[in-house]
Amino acid sequence: MFLALRELRHSRLRYGLIGAILALVAWLVFLLSGLANGLATDNGSAIQHLNADYVVFQSGARTLLHRSILPMQTVQAVKQVSGVQDAAPLGQFTITVQRVGSSEQIDATVLAIDPTSFLAPPIITGTGLDSANQNGVVLDRTAQRHGVKLGDTLKVMPAGQEMTVVGFTEGQTYSHLPVIYMDIPLWQSLRFAAPGSAGAITDPISAVAVKMDSAAAARVAADVPGVEVATKDSTLQNLPGYKEETGSVNMIQAFLFIIAAFIMAAFFYVLTLQKSNQFGVLKALGASTRFLARDLVGQVLLMTIVGVIVGALLSYAVAAIIPAAVPFALSTGLVVVYGGVLLLVALAGTLLSLFQIARVDALVAIGRVD
Amino acid sequence: MDKLLLENVSKVYGSGENAVTALDAVSLTVREGEFVAVVGPSGSGKTTLLALTGALLLPTSGTITLNGEDTKRLAPSALAKFRLEHIGFVLQSSNLVPYLTARDQLLLVAELAGKRDKAAHARATHLLDALGLSKRHHHYPEALSGGERQRVAIARALMNDPDVLLADEPTANLDSVRGREAVQMLAAQVRTSHKAAIMVTHDERMLDLCDRVVRIADGRLSDAPMTARH
Repeated sequence: MFLALRELRHSRLRYGLIGAILALVAWLVFLLSGLANGLATDNGSAIQHLNADYVVFQSGARTLLHRSILPMQTVQAVKQVSGVQDAAPLGQFTITVQRVGSSEQIDATVLAIDPTSFLAPPIITGTGLDSANQNGVVLDRTAQRHGVKLGDTLKVMPAGQEMTVVGFTEGQTYSHLPVIYMDIPLWQSLRFAAPGSAGAITDPISAVAVKMDSAAAARVAADVPGVEVATKDSTLQNLPGYKEETGSVNMIQAFLFIIAAFIMAAFFYVLTLQKSNQFGVLKALGASTRFLARDLVGQVLLMTIVGVIVGALLSYAVAAIIPAAVPFALSTGLVVVYGGVLLLVALAGTLLSLFQIARVDALVAIGRVD
Repeated sequence: MDKLLLENVSKVYGSGENAVTALDAVSLTVREGEFVAVVGPSGSGKTTLLALTGALLLPTSGTITLNGEDTKRLAPSALAKFRLEHIGFVLQSSNLVPYLTARDQLLLVAELAGKRDKAAHARATHLLDALGLSKRHHHYPEALSGGERQRVAIARALMNDPDVLLADEPTANLDSVRGREAVQMLAAQVRTSHKAAIMVTHDERMLDLCDRVVRIADGRLSDAPMTARH
């Protein structure tokens, strides 16, 4: 690093510009990862945070909650399969509600659970669901943005059934909408309001959330009639729009990494070509290719590390000032991983330059090479 | 004592019909403390002679013995290390590293040898002072005059305490006063520190500063009439 550090100090403008580009690329990578993460969380955090390993759907529902209808007996049937630790009913429905005394309509996703089951969400304020209070509901805190408070009465549009907000939870959104947790009977009265909409099934639910291992999951799929079994993760991936949203942002990120590699390759290759004569002189003085290569790699690593750190700081600054409504969630784990990937990509970009350094002949130091 | 011995050294570039003989059975001996000038027109083989002596190239035939060591025994990969330990190059004036101060140019040589210690710092100070650069230690090449740059190059060549000093047209980019000054300093260093030195040059005005002048033409050496002082 003897040469690298002195060169950085002497050619501040040149390396400052390259460093700035690196920092900007890192910044963009981190912002996009925050956005991808935020979108994914916004879309499916209720599934992400579901306290279960597997979800059992009606066969043919293709792991979509809104398509699946199962009879309540399925919960018992699943529980009896050996290896199943626990199972609980789950209902899903999308509704529009209006706060009494306000004209604003709020879209929300209903998740119906048994209040005593392991699916009960963590409560941050108020109380949890209680079977004794059939009309009490728990909302995700993002509903507070619409002015919903503890004790408010919400009317389901357009029919006008009323429910009371008894508590708030967090990290529970579904299809970019805040989740309203309620007891199964209230959900059934909303979801199957039209006669015959549950078909021949009495006491219907959407799906069964199960705690079990993969061997038990295979047995459930084989032994319980009319169901399909999906892991929590594949259920999340299958949410409408989930793959499309994260996929497009991930693609942009992949391109950014490739672009970063080419930027580094181009910059350092041009600089190396410019310095070919100098490298020849250094070799004539006795510098080995390894010494010069180590210096270049050190220089690139140093600049990339500084660029990534600056990019990360800028990203955290953005995260601090970004409006809460924008789905943006920066994960430190991802920042570290992507920073590492940028470092590797920058190193790959130096290969061309290293090849050039190895090719320089010390003879150029004394003029003609022939 | 003979520091540098060239015996029947030939260098042929290419092969078959395209073969070009750059040096043809050249023999030359340089003693400790002796400063030899090699003069000749371009294309005469001067550069090849310098490259062979400086272990930048290996000869096609013949032997080059440097301080008792036969360079033919060296693997091509060992040449850089050999140069680092035994040879000091004074190159044309533009060949300082542009982003290193005068002092760092010297310390680089120590760094390459893995010996950038207190002794190296002391030696760098001593050499720069000895070459009249005591006020220029922390100047970059761009802030030095042409003569000063060439003196830094001489100091750099001496930094590794080499057996042989090789100068390639050291006066090429200097006016006659600065050029003479640089060669005088080079000659003084050769004598006081007992190096064997070869200077390749066009510049006939510098020959009186050398102990011996050798002429080269078409790849063959001939001793010139003594113009050097004795």
